[in-house]
Amino acid sequence: MNIIKFELLKLRSKSRGWLGPILVFILIMVAFPLTVEISNKDLGNSFFAVLWIAILLVMMLATEDIFLEDFNDGSLEQFAISNISLPYIIAVKIFIYWLLIGVPISIIGSLFCLGFTNSSNLAINIFPILLITSYIFINVFSFGNALSLTKGSVLGTLVTLPLLLPLLIVLGKAVISINLNLNYLGFVALLLGVLSIIIFLIPLIISYIIRAHLE
Amino acid sequence: MYQVDRAYSYIFYISLVLYLVSIFWGLFVTPEDFVQGNSYRIIYLHVPASFISQSLYIAMAIASAIFLIWKVKLSAYLVRSIAPIGAITTFIALISGSIWGIPTWGTWWVWDARIVSTLILFIMYLGLISLHDSFSNHEKADKFLSILVLVGSVNIPIIKMSVEWWSTLHQPASITISDKPAIDLVMLYPLFGSIVGFAGIVTCLVILSSKLQILRRERNKSWIKNYV
Repeated sequence: MNIIKFELLKLRSKSRGWLGPILVFILIMVAFPLTVEISNKDLGNSFFAVLWIAILLVMMLATEDIFLEDFNDGSLEQFAISNISLPYIIAVKIFIYWLLIGVPISIIGSLFCLGFTNSSNLAINIFPILLITSYIFINVFSFGNALSLTKGSVLGTLVTLPLLLPLLIVLGKAVISINLNLNYLGFVALLLGVLSIIIFLIPLIISYIIRAHLE
Repeated sequence: MYQVDRAYSYIFYISLVLYLVSIFWGLFVTPEDFVQGNSYRIIYLHVPASFISQSLYIAMAIASAIFLIWKVKLSAYLVRSIAPIGAITTFIALISGSIWGIPTWGTWWVWDARIVSTLILFIMYLGLISLHDSFSNHEKADKFLSILVLVGSVNIPIIKMSVEWWSTLHQPASITISDKPAIDLVMLYPLFGSIVGFAGIVTCLVILSSKLQILRRERNKSWIKNYV
């Protein structure tokens, strides 16, 4: 419990860390209709493409220095030798990032969805998908950033982004089936399945990587 | 290393001859396809290349697992030396597929699952190379590379099954283990020959590249001085 509170306070005090990505997300969503004609009726169609890419980019931005600061000031080393397990601490860290960045972005995203498509059904149904997707993205990008901890975040993103592209295909299919009023719960179940594997594996892998970095 | 040097030339010439014979057979002896005409003959390049590009990734994943579990240094060298060759074969598969696409689909490129996932495989190979090269400490680089290869291996079944899972333009696999092949035997024999021959040639490339890797990494050891 202490760890959760500690991480929460740490991220909350660093407003650039959590407010920055949310603002960037809002700016992308606001800027996108300006690039097409305002009266364009097809805005709703291209909205989802922009939404997924915006979330992808913002999660990439958000996890940019998830481990870097702790690594530089030595607290990651303290965590590694403390008697609380390192994977647990990492899982908490990722969870806090999702809570402060992923959840607000999901809410804002479904609000934008309501604004762009004028369909409250779509906006409500897209919300759980947004929540799950942002959690998966944060996990995978944290893995990438752990890999390139001392080499800048571009490299880590570069090597983990390809892993997420199959997920984007699934998301596209999910939106189509919501639009056609088909049963989209299968896609939610698939995403949840992916998340349930990732949520346990990624902290274990990251802790292995971090120990290798500290050697 | 000495045994490898001896076996190397045999593997290379046998597989080169096998590949050339199958290509000749496939191009001049087998009849035209009923639907696709002569254009289908590119399968003697396209199928081996895409098959090998995925097999190489699986080989990398096995080698990385061996490296992470038993700390066998040679398998880490193998992973690093396979990566560029995998990138090249994936590139050949993409280019030949796109050339095949013009007569059959009428377009160079479609955004469909199989093609995109093969492109992802290509990008991943490049990412692996750049990750490894960005670390000056080779032991660390080997470790991270192996982890990334293992994590990335989730993409292989996705590429494999994408033709069945998603509706796509790409035709389903012609050869499967369980079913009767969907391709006529006249075309199948040279296809098998070309796959085996291509695999042999790529194996030789892997041997050469890993030899280079060993020489580069172990250049300060005394046995290298004796060898060279």
